[in-house]
Amino acid sequence: MRSLLLGLLLGLCSLVSALSAVGNKLLVIQEDESEKDNYSQFFKDLEARGFQISHRTPKDSSLSLFLHGVPAYSHLLLFPPKSKGLGPELTANVLVDFINQGSNVLLALSSDKSIPSAVSSLLLELDISLSPDRGSLVVDHFNYDTKSASDKHEVLLLPSPDSSRQDVKSYFGVQGLIAFPHSVGQVLGNASPFLASVLKAPATSYIYNPKDDSGDALEDPFATGTQINLVSAFQARNSARFTVFGSAEALQDTWFTASVQLPNGKSEKTSNQEFAKKVTGWTFKEQGVLKAGAIRHWLDEGAQKSTTDLTVLDVNPSIYRIKNDVHYSVELSEWQADHWAPFTPPAADNVQLEVSMLSPFHRLNLVPKQHTANATLYTSDFKLPDQHGIFNFYVEYRRPFLTNVEEKVTVTVRHFAHDEWPRSFAISGAWPWIGGIWVTIAGWVAFVALWLWCKPVEEKKVAGKR
Amino acid sequence: MRLPSRLVLPLLALAAPILAATSWSFEDATLTIQGKGSGVGGGAKEKLSSSTLTSQPFALNGAESLKIVLTTTEGKSGKRPHQAFLTLHEQATGLEESFAFSVKDNGKAKLDLSQKDLPHQFLTSSQPIKASIVLASFGSSTPLNHHTFDLTIGSDSATPPSIPSPPERYTSKPEIHHIFRADPRSPPKVLSLFFTLAVLAALPVLLGAWLYLGGNIDHVGKAFGANPLAHGLFFGSILAMEGVFFLYYTTWNLFQTLPVAAVVGTVAFVSGSRALTEVQERRLAGER
Repeated sequence: MRSLLLGLLLGLCSLVSALSAVGNKLLVIQEDESEKDNYSQFFKDLEARGFQISHRTPKDSSLSLFLHGVPAYSHLLLFPPKSKGLGPELTANVLVDFINQGSNVLLALSSDKSIPSAVSSLLLELDISLSPDRGSLVVDHFNYDTKSASDKHEVLLLPSPDSSRQDVKSYFGVQGLIAFPHSVGQVLGNASPFLASVLKAPATSYIYNPKDDSGDALEDPFATGTQINLVSAFQARNSARFTVFGSAEALQDTWFTASVQLPNGKSEKTSNQEFAKKVTGWTFKEQGVLKAGAIRHWLDEGAQKSTTDLTVLDVNPSIYRIKNDVHYSVELSEWQADHWAPFTPPAADNVQLEVSMLSPFHRLNLVPKQHTANATLYTSDFKLPDQHGIFNFYVEYRRPFLTNVEEKVTVTVRHFAHDEWPRSFAISGAWPWIGGIWVTIAGWVAFVALWLWCKPVEEKKVAGKR
Repeated sequence: MRLPSRLVLPLLALAAPILAATSWSFEDATLTIQGKGSGVGGGAKEKLSSSTLTSQPFALNGAESLKIVLTTTEGKSGKRPHQAFLTLHEQATGLEESFAFSVKDNGKAKLDLSQKDLPHQFLTSSQPIKASIVLASFGSSTPLNHHTFDLTIGSDSATPPSIPSPPERYTSKPEIHHIFRADPRSPPKVLSLFFTLAVLAALPVLLGAWLYLGGNIDHVGKAFGANPLAHGLFFGSILAMEGVFFLYYTTWNLFQTLPVAAVVGTVAFVSGSRALTEVQERRLAGER
């Protein structure tokens, strides 16, 4: 009993200390037990961040990603196997199921080892293509490590990735150079908005296959320059993350501490350890996780005009009238390693509110109005459209590297009631008609009086007139 | 001739870095832009240099093809590099695309390029495209990445490039502000006032006409003398009914109006028949 309680307490403690927003169970698939030691610093870093790591080999008969139909692990880390396959428990289908149920996958590749068909078919489903030639690697004759690859140039040295888009938050910036030995280049499909590039190859790099290269010049490279991705990220509709890391070797202890030198550069230490932390941190949801808090909207008219005192306001009514002025606010928080913090979008980006019935009538940029301890309050004031019906106040915030926020509030927008229109006397065009009514009334009353009480005119006067 | 060894060693030491620092370059480079009709050897020929940028950008039009012939060299001698690319850089989008030269063992390289090889971003670019020649290979020779010339893409009016619709990206979308229907408008107030006055003026005209024709209410005393209750109630109920209508117009709803209107109407009906009987009596008496 005591041990049970102790276990529960420990479990709670580890939950609290975990830095991931979703869970701390991490499964590492590595074929060779001995290889584990090459990555000891990498695993130590993960454990220090609260992950409970289970090491398994793909051949393990008890291996299963699911327990009672739900994912048994929150995160999966796949290292390239020596053999050609990954076994029956790690087929492309199973991995897709695993992602569909919200778990995150980090896939490390290496040009030294073959890429299992399960992996390449999974990548094809995500619209990531690899060179069809086994063993192809990325080479760059301009940015290589002169210390370890002075002849073959297959250890790329890359500066910190910076976001190519102004409106995308960068989660992967590091100081110094990142070494990428024997890396597998990926080419991302253009159609999918789920894919994002984390680290691109330099402009002068290209993919070639060292095996069938017999000293000939390269005639038809699979991909060249910045179209090659060394690390690419996929975030599904359910915000599950899948990261392809082009070089498993870059995670090894030797490259965490190696000192490298660019041609014409000076020797410096790699920042692989920092970069590995950023990539795993993003993939395992320590970064870039968004949450919407309280949503409030109210009528911003009459007695409720420009008050923010929630005790007197009629908050979140289910019905409005067309052309009503409405105030809307939503709280957004971002998970930052161990706590929820106020979310601020990048400078060129906006959180937007759509007032929509089938299609948006309004799409408004929300204004960050107030920061609380762990949320930013985004607000907007707007006039409801002059169309009655069932409307949604819809905040859909989907951005690369951020989990999706979709918050929908449905309200009825009714038409003007008969007594809410302007009175006829307020309409100048109606004045002749109103005047006509009053003249008729007065004439009618006068006519009744005349009919009731008229005295006949004296004959002589009439005769005189005739 | 024998050189003293103490002279040779420093000489070798001087030569070593020079040997190690061989670099990739190219020579005898010509660029030809060939129209479809012009035969072999036709078209404008230009020399390219491995150290400078050509002064003028070249124009590549619809049916023309661009041909570059050069000899790649490592140090002084012609040699084949592993990487011999012509890299095009579109400045607005940052798109880069490389085209590999086909190189022979002795370093003779050539490349043909026409508009159909280029992605549509290049074809619709408004700025000149930067073209660089990249020569590099394994080992320690210094690679070459030289911005050699600029290229302008002339639009092909016969077959305009097909531009695919931009792919979906998650980003903020343009704002939409609902355009409200215009408020109903009234004619100018002056006009409304004029016609209101014209309508109101009809009442004095009507009353004046009645007075002119001899209208009067001199029998009030007589009528009230004969049947004060009926006349008072009837005329009062007529006024009250107008009052009911006025209240309905301003504040009352239909359910407040109807019962009151019913009461007033009944009073008007009952008292009206009495009052009209009195009027009939006056008429029979010849007083109307």
